Amino acid sequence: MYHRFSMAARETNPNFMNGVPELLILKLLQQQEMYGYEIVQAILSRTNSVIAAGEGVVYPVLHGLERDGALRSRRKTVGGRSRIYYSVTPAGRRRLADLKKTWSSLASAIQSVLAGGQHGEAIP
Amino acid sequence: MAKPFHELRERLLRAGVAPRHVRRYLGELQEHVADLKAEEERHGLSAADAEQAALARLGNMDDLAVAMIGKRQFQSWSARAPWVAFCIAPLLCLAAAWGLALFILASGWAIFLPQAETPFNVPVHGFAMLYFGLGKLIYFDAPLAIGWGIGIIATRGRSKPIWPLAGLVPLAWFGGMAQVHASRIITSGAIDHISVTFSRRIQDPGMSGSLIQASAILLATALPYLVWRMQKAFSKAA
Repeated sequence: MYHRFSMAARETNPNFMNGVPELLILKLLQQQEMYGYEIVQAILSRTNSVIAAGEGVVYPVLHGLERDGALRSRRKTVGGRSRIYYSVTPAGRRRLADLKKTWSSLASAIQSVLAGGQHGEAIP
Repeated sequence: MAKPFHELRERLLRAGVAPRHVRRYLGELQEHVADLKAEEERHGLSAADAEQAALARLGNMDDLAVAMIGKRQFQSWSARAPWVAFCIAPLLCLAAAWGLALFILASGWAIFLPQAETPFNVPVHGFAMLYFGLGKLIYFDAPLAIGWGIGIIATRGRSKPIWPLAGLVPLAWFGGMAQVHASRIITSGAIDHISVTFSRRIQDPGMSGSLIQASAILLATALPYLVWRMQKAFSKAA
């Protein structure tokens, strides 16, 4: 039983934070195209800086999503500055829907444990 | 390029991240720093302080490197499968180049010298000379061009020297040992016969010439790469 449980857990939630940067980026870019600096500032402002890391680490995530076909990029000059803008592709929208579903079920499961649900109190 | 970015570039390349991904990553990081610096300056910091603050917000170089190195999709082929990139692919390129050169020889023979017993040692003029010259150029220069290509890929990707050198030896060997034969014989309905053979035994006619040619190819392709390596080692030691 334990083996089955641990295998299932590994397949679905290898790491609780896995997919969170992708989820946030895809969600933000679903609304409008942005460049890296804008994306980081949007994440900081909308999460009240709760999710904060070295700002530069956003780029490997962006490049990985682009390589997977979830994002597309184009170079655009605005106000004399040339920047790479990212936007979501149809494949990225599907991925966002999957990530949202996964995250919602994970969050509600954690919430039910934190709320002291029946399963957490079973062991004396 | 600022020193921290230079170090990050070297670290990423040595870890096997493909040069094009490194270039793009560093380009975007530098643009990001410029935006952060402008923001800090708007908040009243001096240019020097703003730059320090911008670099701190960007993240430490370890995190920036690990974020990129950890993603296998950014690894170059020369890091993922060096034996393919440096040994197999160059030989396939050589075979393709020689295929093209032999096609030029065969078609030139059929078009310009339909009566000749062989396309070799026959005087040709005008466009025919250019046509055959192109074939010769491709045939003789392919091992050199591919060998230099190996050196450039190894240099850009900061590869360990063992792999490019392991790729240059068979390339030089095939480049030096190959001999093209063309004769007008009737074999299964085809009149023209062109083949490539390789000198294998020391007694083979022309073996010494082939060995000299193979050594020359090896020297001409390995030397620029080795000189670059030594130059890099000296500049690091200095």
